[in-house]
Amino acid sequence: MKDNKVFSHDTIIIGAGLAGLRAALEACKSTNVAVVTKVHPLRSHSISAQGGINASLSVDDSWENHAKDTIKGGDYLADQDAVEVLCKEAPDRIEEMEKWGTLFSRTKNGKIAQRPFGGASYPRTCYASDRTGHNLLHTLYEQTLRRGVVFYEEFIVTSLIINENTCSGIIAINLVNGDLVTFKSKAVILATGGYGRVYNNSTNALINTGDGMALAYRHNIPLKDMEFVQFHPTTLYGSNILISEACRGEGGILFNNEGKRFMENYAPELMELAPRDIIARAIETEINEGRGFENEYVSLDITHLGKDKIMERLPQIHEIALHFAGIDSTLEPIPVQPGQHYSMGGISTDIEGRTSISGLYAAGECACVSVHGANRLGGNSLLETIVFGRRAGFAVAMDLKEMDFKELPLEIYKNEKLRIDRLIGAEGKERIIPLKKELCKLMTEKVGIFRNKKGLLSARNKIRTIKKRYKDISIQDKGSVFNTELALALELGNLIDLAEVIVVSALARKESRGSHYRLDYPKRNDNEWLNHTLAQFSEDNIRLKFKRVKITRFKPEERVY
Amino acid sequence: MVKFKIYRFEKGKDSKPRFENFAIKEGEGMTILDALFKIKDEIDGTLSFRYSCRGAVCGSCGMLINGSPMLACRTQVGDLIKGKLNFELKIHGPFAFPSINKIDSMEIQIEPLPNFAIIKDLVVDMKSFFNGYESIDPWFIKKNGLDNENNMSQKEMKAIEPYINCIMCGICFSKCPSAIRDNKYLGPATLAKAWRFLADSRFENKKEMLKKVDSHRGVWACDTVYRCVDFCPKNVPSTQGITAIRRKLLLNKLIR
Repeated sequence: MKDNKVFSHDTIIIGAGLAGLRAALEACKSTNVAVVTKVHPLRSHSISAQGGINASLSVDDSWENHAKDTIKGGDYLADQDAVEVLCKEAPDRIEEMEKWGTLFSRTKNGKIAQRPFGGASYPRTCYASDRTGHNLLHTLYEQTLRRGVVFYEEFIVTSLIINENTCSGIIAINLVNGDLVTFKSKAVILATGGYGRVYNNSTNALINTGDGMALAYRHNIPLKDMEFVQFHPTTLYGSNILISEACRGEGGILFNNEGKRFMENYAPELMELAPRDIIARAIETEINEGRGFENEYVSLDITHLGKDKIMERLPQIHEIALHFAGIDSTLEPIPVQPGQHYSMGGISTDIEGRTSISGLYAAGECACVSVHGANRLGGNSLLETIVFGRRAGFAVAMDLKEMDFKELPLEIYKNEKLRIDRLIGAEGKERIIPLKKELCKLMTEKVGIFRNKKGLLSARNKIRTIKKRYKDISIQDKGSVFNTELALALELGNLIDLAEVIVVSALARKESRGSHYRLDYPKRNDNEWLNHTLAQFSEDNIRLKFKRVKITRFKPEERVY
Repeated sequence: MVKFKIYRFEKGKDSKPRFENFAIKEGEGMTILDALFKIKDEIDGTLSFRYSCRGAVCGSCGMLINGSPMLACRTQVGDLIKGKLNFELKIHGPFAFPSINKIDSMEIQIEPLPNFAIIKDLVVDMKSFFNGYESIDPWFIKKNGLDNENNMSQKEMKAIEPYINCIMCGICFSKCPSAIRDNKYLGPATLAKAWRFLADSRFENKKEMLKKVDSHRGVWACDTVYRCVDFCPKNVPSTQGITAIRRKLLLNKLIR
């Protein structure tokens, strides 16, 4: 590794998914922006988003309806002022994406088409067949190129530079040559996505290791509502590749091994279009009680839609089932099981994306505003990225007028270099991947859809042991060129920290709400738990604080579908 | 056990590449990407390759598998052994050759995508590919005077959609004879992108876009042998896009 190279940009954005790119487009109007990303922007996980993006476009729909659905879907844990922003801005953001060229699917009259989605009282999910994320990401990437945003691709951020409660840059490794470099900035926006890979049954890309959340956490920035982990009800049996909610939106039906449409028992009104937490629990229950196939999965049948409709509306799902399971979805049902999909929790921010540190912002899945509460509705995550990505970019542009570059203390770089050099030199007993597999298995088994005190406690203790063992890992690759083993080691460190936060937060919440289901506390308890959990790093134990949920116009009610 | 013969090279360290052999136990439904991870986890941590979505949508893991450029994440080890894929390959070109070779010796050979500089092992430098892409100013500018939620017919949307599906994996560029002759050729993916804009009635900058691709390194370099279409994992009809652009250019010249 060579000596400290320093790059300077007003605004540094970490992550080049939808939230990062949308933030970049906004911030670049008045500031010099660079995006630092560990993969090429078009490889970001946003590319995988399938079903769609919500907005109340129709005259028969309204932002209030959208907000009401979102809040009920989130089991009343969302901050309602934030949800209001999300739903009010949605139509403008969609219009803007259309203006920038996104190829939305159309109605017969040529308007942007919308499909029904889970937990929604109106068909308000806009889509681009079943490749909505792909279309949106390409569109935003094109527009950032147009605006001259600078990209540092295949750089892994190892640390934030925070001094006197102000963030003044980051340190990152250039994967291509192994250089550890410094980025000096006035503002940093974290847009690094979720941590799905802490579970072994995640739909997420392999790169989703919660890097930004872990970076923030280690700098004492609180992580909010981390016990809320979304399990998507329908992921492909075997590989857990996502099988979009759009399948059910278009009319897909779930069956158990008795050929029964079991959702009748769990959500008689909305059936297969109930929110994800409810369907995931239903499927898990069917499987646990012996009504699954091979004790592993249930059937998702879309054959009755007919080949034409499947090829028009769900071509990618058809392709995925064929390529990854050898199933022709026009002729036979798709085998599906629940899998980790999304993190409702994340870095605690206000509705402008500001964190507790001056000069540090967060947006997208890595942030928790919170708009999803205890369970996110399908179609709201893409919306969140462009609404709050833009707001974070805008806040930076405003705040930057009063911010300057700071002198960076050289010790910070020196210490970080020492840490990374030590990691590359590591010759311990533990191998990275087996250790990671242990962690993922543990999380899936003990911190999954159904939880209880005993399981959570044992998970916490085991994670702490894994944390100790992590200090004794070995890295075979001592090279500087494209050292992906080093990347895996850094990512594992992040996953272990986040696993501990998830478990500790889940242990604390003694109720069941949305995606967090405690077998030992099966009821929602609004008297004591209408609170956000804030988890903060401390050397010996994680510190937890609680903050009241903001309720404005939608009073908590019983949640039935 | 399945044998893997894998291309190894590190830029700045090795003077020439070599092949290394690994043997692993085949698992149910194991993809080439799974196999590479298994080798990295259990045998050699220094092996490098790109990956992200593992679901054939991000375009990270294009590589040469038994001589054919394919996505590692959706190519099953079992299929290579059986000599047939879960799905049918469509053959478009006049010189098409089988895209999957049956292997008798249970040996799978893996190399980086050809026609790119190599950074390490299976990781290639995609700069030349993306430079071409950026050179056409690949962004949308909407015509003035259209309403906000502009109308577009389902027919038009469906006509553009195949060109939008490109995941920029570089597989087309790795086997295109024109790109092999001239590394600065814009290439199938970029030209498919250009057609995506040109075919869109909402798009303002058609003249400028046509100018960018009207050159011996643009649409006129294509041999129209459909090699790109044969290998494209997303069935993007790049050659059809290129010939459509040519027709447009010729028509413009005639009218002028």
